[in-house]
Amino acid sequence: MKKEKRIFGKIMMALVTIFFYLPIIFMIVFSFNDSKSLTHFTGFSLRWYQTMLKSHDMMESLYVTIAIALLATIIATIVGTITAIGLSSSKKILRKLVTQINDFPLMNPDIVTAIGLMLLFITFKVEKGFVTMLLAHIAFCIPYVILSVTPKIRSLDPNLADAAMDLGATPTQALVKVIIPQIMPGIISGALIAFTMSFDDFIISYFTTGKGVKNLSIMVYTMSKRVKPSINAISTLVVVLITGALLILNLWPMYREKHPKKPGNNKKTAIVSVIVVCVIACLVFFKDSTTEKPYAGQTLHIYNWGEYTGENIISDFEEKTGAKVVMDNFDSNEQMYIKVANNESYDLLVPSDYMIERLIQEDLLMELDKERVQDALDLCVDDTVNLSYDPGNKYSVPYFWGSVGIVYDKTKVSEAELEQQGWNIFLNEKYKGDIYLYDSERDSFMMALKALGYSMNTTDETEIQEAYNWLVQCVQTMEPEIVTDEIIDNMAQARKSIGLIYSGDAAYIMSENENMGYYEPKQGTNIWCDGMVIPKNAKNVDLAYEYINFATEYDGAYDNSSYVGYSSSNEEVLYNLAQGDYEGINAYLPRSGYAKDEHFKYNETTKKIMSDLWSRVKIVASNS
Amino acid sequence: MKKFSKLAYPYIIWALLMLLLPMLLIGFYSIIRPGNDIVPFTMTLEYYKKFFTDKDFLLVLYRSIVIAVKTTIICLLIGYPVAYFISRCKEKIQNILILCITLPTWINMLVRTYAWIGILSKGGLVSTILAFFGFEDVELLYTETAVLIGMVYNFLPFMILQINTSLSKMDKSLLEASSDLGADKKQTFIRVVFPLSLPGVVSGITLVFLPAVSSFFIPKLLGGGEFFLIGNVIENQFITVGEWNFGSAIAIIMAFLMMFLMMLVRKLENRTAQKED
Repeated sequence: MKKEKRIFGKIMMALVTIFFYLPIIFMIVFSFNDSKSLTHFTGFSLRWYQTMLKSHDMMESLYVTIAIALLATIIATIVGTITAIGLSSSKKILRKLVTQINDFPLMNPDIVTAIGLMLLFITFKVEKGFVTMLLAHIAFCIPYVILSVTPKIRSLDPNLADAAMDLGATPTQALVKVIIPQIMPGIISGALIAFTMSFDDFIISYFTTGKGVKNLSIMVYTMSKRVKPSINAISTLVVVLITGALLILNLWPMYREKHPKKPGNNKKTAIVSVIVVCVIACLVFFKDSTTEKPYAGQTLHIYNWGEYTGENIISDFEEKTGAKVVMDNFDSNEQMYIKVANNESYDLLVPSDYMIERLIQEDLLMELDKERVQDALDLCVDDTVNLSYDPGNKYSVPYFWGSVGIVYDKTKVSEAELEQQGWNIFLNEKYKGDIYLYDSERDSFMMALKALGYSMNTTDETEIQEAYNWLVQCVQTMEPEIVTDEIIDNMAQARKSIGLIYSGDAAYIMSENENMGYYEPKQGTNIWCDGMVIPKNAKNVDLAYEYINFATEYDGAYDNSSYVGYSSSNEEVLYNLAQGDYEGINAYLPRSGYAKDEHFKYNETTKKIMSDLWSRVKIVASNS
Repeated sequence: MKKFSKLAYPYIIWALLMLLLPMLLIGFYSIIRPGNDIVPFTMTLEYYKKFFTDKDFLLVLYRSIVIAVKTTIICLLIGYPVAYFISRCKEKIQNILILCITLPTWINMLVRTYAWIGILSKGGLVSTILAFFGFEDVELLYTETAVLIGMVYNFLPFMILQINTSLSKMDKSLLEASSDLGADKKQTFIRVVFPLSLPGVVSGITLVFLPAVSSFFIPKLLGGGEFFLIGNVIENQFITVGEWNFGSAIAIIMAFLMMFLMMLVRKLENRTAQKED
């Protein structure tokens, strides 16, 4: 009986170990993969490590993660230890109070702590960024330190400090020379817990960060939509770092045993730790070295769509100006609006037409200096300038433009079918479980409204309600997947037959997979244009103008458009690419001048209704 | 040591500001309707009403709890035997095995969850293995199973460690006493070992259930965009819809529900403990 149990136990143990390590090994192996695939290993290469080292975002996120974890750990450990010592000798009621409050982050789901802190920063108008993220980390780390130090203090002889003082020590000496060494194990384990919690944290960082400051978790979360093997590379790096640190930590005591402490060593350790702290502080505050370029030492904060920037434009821009670019990405106009309306400051935004209209109405945008953007505007193709959302381009310079349509697998769906059914093909049960919807409230309602023969700018609530019912029918009967940028790689691999898509993404997909087609339904569609705008609370307006011009001029515009597949606003680039890289790909040149196509208009009431209804559609989809 | 009591004062102010105030703010936001320039806000309970009168929201909450319960049960069923096995090993091996289990938890959760995408997707490792055994090419990614795997993967170490702590703390002479008194292995386990490990089981359940209910990145990464749990609803309200008042109300509802469930678990533990006495 006993033997059998051991065997069962051993098997369980082995399986669990495999379960724990399998993904990690998988990740390490695929970080050396020669191709982009996450499922087939085609050969050994270091290219993803090169991509990682070149990627500004990734290296920056690693730096932020480590800097925050170290700073938060050091501060939380010091404050937590001092507090625990203080509490041990204060009144019971005080002790109880602190224990109760400390329980909040320990007992509440992380997301509750996270939104609490976010509301705190926003209510008191603290600008979100590195500092708020650090404050939040310190806040949730201290309770763990207190929790791990307190038992050690309790087990101390209460007369210890008095004895030291009787022997002539000052209170500070008694603290540093007698009490702290006694409770050191508790302090160390507290610091370790704090470090892990901070290093690992996603949820709290996600809600308390701003201005494009990303730690590793946030970076992975925002990048996970596209197939990016360089994530595996950076993860492998983290695995190596952590394993190394743990080994040192575990081997250190053994080393200590073999080489007993010499007197005076303590001071050395103290000096070393002070130096370490200083170095970190210097790294944090004086990271940018000065050069002689015009904008050296300055930073440009851009808030742009994900997967919307060329491969080299950022580094070229940094090279030219000497400035540093911090790019934050959003998935939807609405997501961007919430941050901007809550006073997060960026220097440059790239919203869509209707959102620009809204930002203008709410007086959040700066009127552009015509002299500084006229050259850029002159380069733009007619379809993108002087549109209804911003007549005369007083506030915006076009970036990309395009249409919304259907991407389809030509081997499974015929064009005749699309001609006949248009948007209603999303209700055709023949393709049940075989479609992608796009997580954009306006474009989803656009599709439904056009399918029903209405204007996509309708303000008639019964029509919107009908469109809602259309969408509900779609998610209930068709088992769609609702995605954003995930659609790009998935359709390029032909994982489903039909998807709602932006023309630019379709162009990229078609350039990757020739079996894919793009269709703009006869019922009409959304012709959109995204523009660069400068918000009123921008801090570096000059640099923003520089970037606007840089991204509109031939080289910048070419890099952007050829890399991501969206139609350039620069006329020359547009026609060159249409005859070059994107030759024969209809998605690259959107339909122009078709009577049933429209531009979005902003309307506050319908926006609210659609926003609420769309989040409901997603919930219904998830429940069914 | 009275001299040191002042050392705690700064932290008390900090704690009130950074830990208590945020909770009060969520509560406050959940009962106000934003107003205009003249009346900054009005009190209302409409957000709570909106949540409780809508079957779709309630269904999401229900599904979140169900999936968290499933995760907890699986973690318990796998975690207990493993923790028990570890606690019966020699001390040196115990330490190695514990390190073996804690090591992955040091690596970023997002990163580890991301790694599953490749394993679970079509043509990935799992479907290849299943295909080898003659199963149809299944795609696990973006299904509930994938979410469940992700959750068990992330939270199982907590369960194992908690149970193991309480098992290895146990006085070994109790086992001898039990067998001296004529109990066989099975009886000893049921009547002595298991009841004594209950505190570990309870804290394990807490540590698994709590993050499982509110998790939103595991469902998003492995369940796809249309896999909504209550955490995703809250995230969505704050990040894309911008209805912070409604989002706050859902957060408060979730926090209270958690508190209630945890109290229930503690009560159960106390009752069983008393019965054994």
